[in-house]
Amino acid sequence: MSAAMPRATATAAAPRDPLLEEITGPTPGQMLRRRIFGHQGFLIGTITLLVLLAIALVAPLIAPHDPYAQDLMSRMERPVFMGGDWDHVLGTDHLGRDYLSRLIYGARVSLLIGGVAALISGLIGTAMGVAAGYFGGRVDMVVTFLINVRLAMPVTLVALAVVAVLGGSLEVVIGVLGLLLWDRFAVVMRASTLQVRGREYVAAARAIGCSTPRILLTEILPNILNALIVVVTLEMAHAILLEAALSFLGLGVQPPTPSWGLMVSEGKNMMLFEPWLVLIPGAVLFVLVLAINLMGDGLRDVTAPENRS
Amino acid sequence: MNRYLLGTAVAALTLSAGGAFADKSDDTLRVAFTKELESVDSYYNSAREGVVLQRAIWDGLIYRDPVTNEYVGNLATSWEWIDDTTLELKLREGVSFHNGEPFNADDVVYTVNFVADEANGAVTQNNVNWMESAEKIDDYTVRIHTKAPYPAAIEYLSGPVSMYPNEYYAEVGPTGMGTAPIGTGPYKVVSVDPGKHFVLEANTEYHDGPKGQPEIGRIDIRTIPEVNTQLAELFNGTLDLIWQVPSDQAERIEQMGDFVVSNESTMRVGYLAMDAAGRSGADNPFTDLKVRQAVNHALDRETLVDALLKGKSTPIHTACFPSQFGCAQDVTEYEYDPEKAKALLAEAGYPDGFKTEFYAYRDREFAEAIASYLNAVGIETDFKMLQYSALRDLNMKGEVPISFQTWGSFSVNDASAMVSQFFKHGELDDARDDEVLADLDIADSSTDPAVRKEHYALALQRIADQAYWAPMFSYNTNYVFTDEVSYAPTADEVLRFHEMSWK
Repeated sequence: MSAAMPRATATAAAPRDPLLEEITGPTPGQMLRRRIFGHQGFLIGTITLLVLLAIALVAPLIAPHDPYAQDLMSRMERPVFMGGDWDHVLGTDHLGRDYLSRLIYGARVSLLIGGVAALISGLIGTAMGVAAGYFGGRVDMVVTFLINVRLAMPVTLVALAVVAVLGGSLEVVIGVLGLLLWDRFAVVMRASTLQVRGREYVAAARAIGCSTPRILLTEILPNILNALIVVVTLEMAHAILLEAALSFLGLGVQPPTPSWGLMVSEGKNMMLFEPWLVLIPGAVLFVLVLAINLMGDGLRDVTAPENRS
Repeated sequence: MNRYLLGTAVAALTLSAGGAFADKSDDTLRVAFTKELESVDSYYNSAREGVVLQRAIWDGLIYRDPVTNEYVGNLATSWEWIDDTTLELKLREGVSFHNGEPFNADDVVYTVNFVADEANGAVTQNNVNWMESAEKIDDYTVRIHTKAPYPAAIEYLSGPVSMYPNEYYAEVGPTGMGTAPIGTGPYKVVSVDPGKHFVLEANTEYHDGPKGQPEIGRIDIRTIPEVNTQLAELFNGTLDLIWQVPSDQAERIEQMGDFVVSNESTMRVGYLAMDAAGRSGADNPFTDLKVRQAVNHALDRETLVDALLKGKSTPIHTACFPSQFGCAQDVTEYEYDPEKAKALLAEAGYPDGFKTEFYAYRDREFAEAIASYLNAVGIETDFKMLQYSALRDLNMKGEVPISFQTWGSFSVNDASAMVSQFFKHGELDDARDDEVLADLDIADSSTDPAVRKEHYALALQRIADQAYWAPMFSYNTNYVFTDEVSYAPTADEVLRFHEMSWK
């Protein structure tokens, strides 16, 4: 944007200069905006995610009931669209807790786990990938070896084993997923760094005597950021699904914490008679993961270098 | 691709159709077990499924009528206490084991001496360790010597202690018995796929004992861990009888009207055990009587029973099941009063409550509801669901501050099977109260019923006053079967195949 400003002013000042006329037309910022608003998937995904994020943030304000308040006398009341009453819009669970409130609070758990796990694995994976791609040689060998080791481990199985030993809790699940899901970051960041390390601006920065950290932070990182963002979204969705799977198996977040995976697990016993107990949290989980994936795909399309020209 | 899919579908259809044929028309009753049974040898498992098979394959010396609770002779025809520690039994003649081996005094002597020897590692020592040895008087007379006066002996001889064939058992041992069981019972074992599939066949030469002759020709038992799968198979007609069905599902099936749903009480009692002895750390809040009383006041037993357990469950206030001999009911009761619980916690020095680990091993739903009651008065729970064996190990090491436990007393109708199991300073005793121990020692070994009653009552009163446990409710179990099956379940959580018949 800031780079576009003087150009626009120059165009206005000397409209007849043929050289300058060639580069009039949309600025990069305008083109980006056009690509964003022309990309339906990206828009739908982002808006859905933002809405869910907002819901998670203001959960205490909008939840109609206390998500932990148990009322054994009104268990498994049906949601409104199946003949329930408006006091519990989405019905109540097996302990008489309001389903909607638990879903709303569950969004916090899912987004927190998705976000923090992606952040931790992002930091680990990016550091390793960039180091491997930029320095090459032995560093690359070590990192590639570590990536291979990590890829040889089945994530779910390792997560299950670790959680079984340490006991399930929010912190443990976030930690385990954060420490397990860095492989894709490392692979993608390494490849992207390899692409840009030979570019002229990197050579120029080196030539004027920039320090290595400075080159990495100001020359390399900004130019691989779009790939990074896409991986972040993918891994976030991955972490959210894994948390749901762990909680479903009783090894993730522990009750009474509302988690969507746990809600599916708790509703499972009555699946034959009250399928909505499983379908509602399942559907919400599906929407969240779909939204994040749509946004990730969209981001790739919107920011991909070939779309810039 | 399409052809492949079609083939699979056809195969699946054929399979399920093949299963559906088995029912009254071919005299096969299909039953599901929920848990994998570790060993069929009844001395080497502690599972309910094991008890069910034990009652079908083997016989005890004595039989307790499940309805009248009267003791009648089974493999023994009469018995008599010669002195405080010697029981003489006359054996039934003309009985033979499934492999043809005749039943006589040698079998009793071998079985008793084998299982009573702790080195042989019978899983539930409480069931057998009261016996010292057995002695043959003649071919059809034996004496069983107990280690100390043991009035509950008749109950144990009619329950968990069943008679094995000496020659066969000496040859194959528990492992062989677990895969090819041989007994005198109303059903013979046709095949055992350990933990998964058991096929039984009526013993046409069954002796004329109190169990009566088996009527259904073949029993086919499969282990199906998932309740929903069991229900689906029941609806499909590939299962005829399921049991231990959770109340919520049982209620819905009853509403459907296509199956017989029968609810019976069981001897299983659910309770919270608290670390009063401070084994998990001397500063553990549960060492404080007021905290334990607060826990007792925090639980709404009535609602738990009405809304969650349903059926024939009842609220429980004692450390035993009400029908058990000596299980006094006039002990201190703690009514549901969350305000009082909070006040007691404040008095104990926890005005804002405290945080504790909360362990459970079964019935996650109940455990969650209980934890929620504790949370409501300020006891924050760090919920931990473990396998039974893992929790038991942790408990033995004294690392469990509070846990949701259940005990089914092996269907033994005597308070010793529960209160003496847990309050005699064993590894699982969280209270370690000397007064309780003294009373239980007297009650367990006295032959005078009045003395026993009095001292069990004293022990139970002390346990209630000190709030060592928070007893909560008794369990019930739901039996669901097709309307072709005729069966009247009993209150002891034992499926008796020999009492089932086709309508």
